[in-house]
Amino acid sequence: MSSDGFPPFISAQLHYLINHYPDFIKVEQAWSGSRYYSGSFDRFTLLIPYCLDYIKWDVIYNAEFPLAPPDVIFGPDDEDFHPFYTVEGGDGADSRALKNSLSDWNYKDPTKLLALVEDLRDKYRSHQRKLVGEVDDDRVKFEISTILSREGIEMHLTPGAEKPEEVKFAVPLMDTSINKLVHACPWRHEQKIYLQVVYPVGRKYASSPSAPRLKLMSTAELKALFSIEDVKLPTWLDGMCMAEYLPHLEELLHKQVLEAVSLIHIRRRFIEALAPLFGRPLEADPIFCRKATFLAASGAFTFLVHFILPTQFPKHQPSLMLQSTQHFNSTGIPFKSQFQSEYPWSPRWEVPQMADRIFDFLVDESLNFKRYCNESHLQH
Amino acid sequence: MEDFTLHKVAISGPTLASMIQRVSSSVGDVDGLLFGHVTGITPSTLSDDDAVSPDSGSQQLVANVTSFICFHSPLSFYDSLGRVDSSCLRRFTSSPATHHHHFMGWFSARRKTPIRPSMREYSVTRSLSSKSELSFPIKDLETKTRLSPCVFLLFSTPLPEQVIHTHEYRAYQFRTSRGSLEPKPMDIVNIGPAFRGHYGSFSPNSPFPMLNCELRGSMNEDTKVETLDEKKQNSRDQSELDMCAEGFGIGNLRRLIGADASNTTTTLEDLYERMLTKIDTLAREVEISSSKVLEQENHNRKLRHKIARTSVE
Repeated sequence: MSSDGFPPFISAQLHYLINHYPDFIKVEQAWSGSRYYSGSFDRFTLLIPYCLDYIKWDVIYNAEFPLAPPDVIFGPDDEDFHPFYTVEGGDGADSRALKNSLSDWNYKDPTKLLALVEDLRDKYRSHQRKLVGEVDDDRVKFEISTILSREGIEMHLTPGAEKPEEVKFAVPLMDTSINKLVHACPWRHEQKIYLQVVYPVGRKYASSPSAPRLKLMSTAELKALFSIEDVKLPTWLDGMCMAEYLPHLEELLHKQVLEAVSLIHIRRRFIEALAPLFGRPLEADPIFCRKATFLAASGAFTFLVHFILPTQFPKHQPSLMLQSTQHFNSTGIPFKSQFQSEYPWSPRWEVPQMADRIFDFLVDESLNFKRYCNESHLQH
Repeated sequence: MEDFTLHKVAISGPTLASMIQRVSSSVGDVDGLLFGHVTGITPSTLSDDDAVSPDSGSQQLVANVTSFICFHSPLSFYDSLGRVDSSCLRRFTSSPATHHHHFMGWFSARRKTPIRPSMREYSVTRSLSSKSELSFPIKDLETKTRLSPCVFLLFSTPLPEQVIHTHEYRAYQFRTSRGSLEPKPMDIVNIGPAFRGHYGSFSPNSPFPMLNCELRGSMNEDTKVETLDEKKQNSRDQSELDMCAEGFGIGNLRRLIGADASNTTTTLEDLYERMLTKIDTLAREVEISSSKVLEQENHNRKLRHKIARTSVE
């Protein structure tokens, strides 16, 4: 039994899947199907990213029969998804790959589960593309015909049991690799920005089709460099289609991402400018330069200063937090100040001047903080 | 082979209970074959409108599950892609298919899983339904229609841990025309007034013969001349009886009635005694062989666990 509760052969395949899948994939819950060993998991729910959302598939191994390949139960909305049987009759070249990954199953080969999940997801993508293609909506039909050639586009039909049906597109934006723009890039996964376009379907009575719902989304780690919340989406004009809208948006994003990359350099210069005043930083984020911590002293009172630099620096000023090295609460945690971002600042200052002004501010602020620490300390 | 839709799947309480018992006592996930018959019933919704006379097309088909075989291991009669192995299947279904004992589908039972057909279960059911050589006739239907083994029963247990043992089950029929598994209502036939109709159409599954020992009037007692037909019938009955009671003459049964009855009773009691001893011995043999099977199964399980535990090279 391995530490995570799975028998070794499942554990090896699962870890390989999680570590090698090109995107974030996770296990939501795991159970045991064995009568005697309820602690030995052999079935689990996988959350697989699809179309800027997650699909939940249950993978059923059999701990009692390790040689048997696993089975999969798809989501409740996907009961028409039968990956072995395509419309053409079921023996296309693409289903052969999937069939091979199951019929050549080898429980000792840790790569097998990854291959199976990737093959199934490919089939799922074509299944959804087929469903969306069958939607009786002229605008959706037109959109598909014009943007299908875009690489990596995914679509999904949300079945309309309670709400009206919706067609969701996930359009990857910009061809350039953001990872390559960042010097010494730490990201394991390729960072991408997507536009989510949601079309309501079947509102035949509407005289002019309403604009689709638009939302920018990005992979999680991109936040360290660039916040998509700061992007103002261009307006979707009446009668517009994605093929018209996307180039403009991509151009805008491209400019903003390049700018965000150039801001790393300014943040680095700012941290460097702090060094002559505070001494060498104890700790600093060397890649995105979003964080730096210095040791400072005011008389005999020594404390740490944490600088949190926003992606919009220098337009937005850094947040500061002071942490005492001498005052601790009853559980041994050092006293900390609130985050401060209300102090004199101008983005038009030269970088050394910014450092100077913060230093001046902290000379006064450290006295306040010392008083606060002493007072709190007495209360304990 | 046409694609008939089943109205419902009926299963008797004891059959369902013994399936659930089998499923819950298994070490892991199990599956097996379903046997029974499909009957056409005319729905009792009588209409006042004469114009709409009920024709045979309006008959509802009910699949009655009467027995099952449960396998010990997964992938017993199909492969990992859900393709049915006909030669393997024939071993289990080749027993003489009587009028009401047809191979009509399969079941799958897996603990702690969503109660929806899986990828492989869909394929197996689809593969079974496509095999025309496995099709069987529908009872009580005028047209000579045949149905393929399209019934699928799914058993599972709920995901969250529960204080009360819960078993979930669902019935499906594979519809070839749509290529989909359609959920079907399941009717559990139990003893009680509500199910009298079911027992009205009861047909026994047991192969025990009807013995010819009708009461003869005392008037023709003397004229005991057996015709050739009677002789033939007697010898047939005797051979059937010999399976359970060696040496007991069929003619003796006749003596139970009349003056000789008290003497015959003792002989009959002896016979019962012998039969009981036989059953007793049989029961003991079954017990011994069962424990041997269990021993072997435990050994197999240990071996499988050893495989599962060996870390991946």
